[in-house]
Amino acid sequence: MNAPSLDRRAFLATAGAFTLSFTVADARAQQTGAPSAPWAAYLSVGQDGKVLLLSPTTEMGQGTHTAHAAIIADEIGVPLSWVSVETALPSDPFRRNGAMGSGGSAGVRAWYAALRQVGANARASLIAAVAGKTGAPVGEVTLVDGRFMRAGQALPVTLGEAAALAAGQPPVQGVLRDPATFKYVGKATPRVDIPAKVRGEPIFSQDFTRPGMVYACAVLAPVYGGAADGFDDSATLAVKGVQQVVAIPGGAAVVATSQWAAMKGAAALKVRWKATPIDGLTSGAISAAMLAGLDKDAEAIVGKAEGDTAAALAGAAKVFEADYEVPYLCHAPMEPWSITVEPTADGGLEIWGPFQTQDRNRSTAAKTAGIDPSKVTLHTLMLGGGYGRRLGDDGTPGAVLVALAVKKPVKFFWRREDEIGQGWYRPAQVARLRAGIDASGKVVALHVRTAGPSMRHTFSPTGLPKGEIDGSSVQTLTDTRYRTGAYRVDWVRVDQAVPMAPWRAVGATQNGYFMEAFVDELARSLRKDPVALRRELLAHDPRALKVIDAAAKAGDWGKPLAAGRARGFAYVESYGSLCAQVVEVSLKDGAVTIHKATCVLDCAQVVTPDGARNQIEGGMIQGLSSGLFEGIEIAGGQATNRNFDGYRIMRINEAPHAVTTVFIENSEIIGGVGEPPVPPATPALVNALFALTGKPIRKLPIAATLAS
Amino acid sequence: MTTITLNGKSITVTSDPDTPLLWVLRDELGLKGAKYGCGIAQCGACTVHVGGQPVRSCSVQIGDLDGQSVTTIESFDGKHPVQQAWVAAQVPQCGFCQPGQIMSAAALLNENKAPSDDDIDAAMAGNICRCGTYPRIRAAIKAAAKA
Ligand code: FES
Ligand code: FES
Repeated sequence: MNAPSLDRRAFLATAGAFTLSFTVADARAQQTGAPSAPWAAYLSVGQDGKVLLLSPTTEMGQGTHTAHAAIIADEIGVPLSWVSVETALPSDPFRRNGAMGSGGSAGVRAWYAALRQVGANARASLIAAVAGKTGAPVGEVTLVDGRFMRAGQALPVTLGEAAALAAGQPPVQGVLRDPATFKYVGKATPRVDIPAKVRGEPIFSQDFTRPGMVYACAVLAPVYGGAADGFDDSATLAVKGVQQVVAIPGGAAVVATSQWAAMKGAAALKVRWKATPIDGLTSGAISAAMLAGLDKDAEAIVGKAEGDTAAALAGAAKVFEADYEVPYLCHAPMEPWSITVEPTADGGLEIWGPFQTQDRNRSTAAKTAGIDPSKVTLHTLMLGGGYGRRLGDDGTPGAVLVALAVKKPVKFFWRREDEIGQGWYRPAQVARLRAGIDASGKVVALHVRTAGPSMRHTFSPTGLPKGEIDGSSVQTLTDTRYRTGAYRVDWVRVDQAVPMAPWRAVGATQNGYFMEAFVDELARSLRKDPVALRRELLAHDPRALKVIDAAAKAGDWGKPLAAGRARGFAYVESYGSLCAQVVEVSLKDGAVTIHKATCVLDCAQVVTPDGARNQIEGGMIQGLSSGLFEGIEIAGGQATNRNFDGYRIMRINEAPHAVTTVFIENSEIIGGVGEPPVPPATPALVNALFALTGKPIRKLPIAATLAS
Repeated sequence: MTTITLNGKSITVTSDPDTPLLWVLRDELGLKGAKYGCGIAQCGACTVHVGGQPVRSCSVQIGDLDGQSVTTIESFDGKHPVQQAWVAAQVPQCGFCQPGQIMSAAALLNENKAPSDDDIDAAMAGNICRCGTYPRIRAAIKAAAKA
């Protein structure tokens, strides 16, 4: 439970463990009629009774390892403290849609049922073994708190002994327990990774070492997509501890005996950068190109069209229209990128790092080395923040090339300036919303057009073919529950050479802001209360209304306010969860104070309530931070704000003192928790400021708009 | 060669005098609790105590610390009241900023047994948490103050 054991084979050897294997048919095999694939080794139970769960997900602070441990502990019937969790090596049982990875707030909802079955099967196998040994009828043996019981009496077999007996026996299909008996799932279960984290144990990629390891500091082209035209390493090689400089894609890496020597050598390296087509690119030019895109009707790709929106707008008594703009956002995990690569004796690679996409990184490493992916063993360490940034594989090829050049284990790392300057960002985007209103004040048409670069095009290895829509550019718009009469969503593609990737909650972040800021402006133009207008647009949907009403209640909507304060409301559904938020603010000398923040989340079912609450608090703060302060500034084809002095992140004195969270549970399909709290936060803040000042905020970050 | 008292023990380190304390701890001494987050005294991930005061170890050179006393998270055994409050409040998410947060909070509570919200803001504003655990940090500091 302390530091995760980094070497599963060592764990298995020392714990005298063996693997229970269970046959649960894999859906694809069933479809093709092929024999059931064994659903392999998720669990091993040592002779000491310790349970090791190999999790399909990466732990980056979102608490999925705790949720998975809780599911296993409850289904088997052992104390949670007996269960430890590691991220599995990439292999079939841990893949979804053909690849292993963590994203889309799927860590719990996609694995909940499967892991319950794994635990139930383990329990059934163990009980069968105990029944065989003691002669007790299988139906009378239960497993409670790690003890085998019959008729209220403990049987004289330990979990470890039972595991030894069960090994090699044919797998048994278990029956799921009644969730009412769960001790950890749905309860205030402490996170399994927290004790090591408060002790400062070396659990992160940055901390990981191998015998004989050297350090390699990346020196990357400042311009996006830039490349080196050669370098002068004389000053670098004179730095004590520096061993050599290796050319890598996009620049060079300085290899040294310590991380500091590598950084010092990197600072001394003189690289000649090749000219690029975007050497003059600026934020202003990107902004102008996107805004021009809004007018390009012929290029608009339709995401959704219900009714004749153009006709309905033309025939409306009144049309209300507004344009909005958001900048590129950096994930800025607190741990800058690092990865350890070790060439193995058989010509393969062993890799340790912070991955959200294990298979993608494994194939990239293999391709770089010119070997088969089966020769790459890829271990996932604890992530010092991910939020989507570690879905990429851009930091892996350089590391592999350095390891192959020096033929030693290498820790390859980026400095903070590259973590921000070479981020794969949340796209910059603009939107134009036009609502048609009839004579009675009812919304009868809505046209939402977004314009900007395609995130999917730069993130997906295969790109996005021309003419196809990037779903993230219209995410949460195409499936909104709002009923606005005729409805059309389209997107104009305006590509840029700036790399992008999913950023926590992805397209819901910008589109949630566009829609929700517009709804408040529309409400004002109609002289309606913003919550009342949302209720009107959702009148047909009891589930959504419940969320709206719960947030209005918990957030004191309509209650008297202290002088100089105002509240803002926003509602965005993403990743299967409905989320509404209320933010209460004041403004002094251009500085925003967030007094209160309230969040209602309908995710249907909460597996680890306190962990989920922590996700909501953090998600809201990340949303508030990005809306208030964040944006990559580009000049000369490169980010000019490359560290935390320029890329401003919310600090404790700027954050709400308390976040009130309310969960709504029901029998709907379980929704995500990690991402859905992010998108409503920015528009709730924007709407509170709009209520306070009467001036709409149509361009983010808010702080820049307030200052302009 | 610089002699410091590290977590109560006198030691001599051989890193060049211009080496930041952070890298002496991490590279030479193998103490990985203090983290590299920015290298320019902006994020607080590298916070340790020098003479009882919270210091961004990425931005002080070891040569300037001769004879000084340095305390790192490794000297807290998990039983420190701040660590206990952190576990009770379930503060960390990814955890990367947390050693720095804990060191800043411990320094605050050494000087101020009952910090107000403004005191907490002033003492903790140098520590960024990208995961946004600030409400829990605030609650845990208050709980530790009462412990
Ligand atoms: S690493 Fe020292 S303050 Fe950020
Ligand atoms: S817990 Fe992740 S940065 Fe603070």
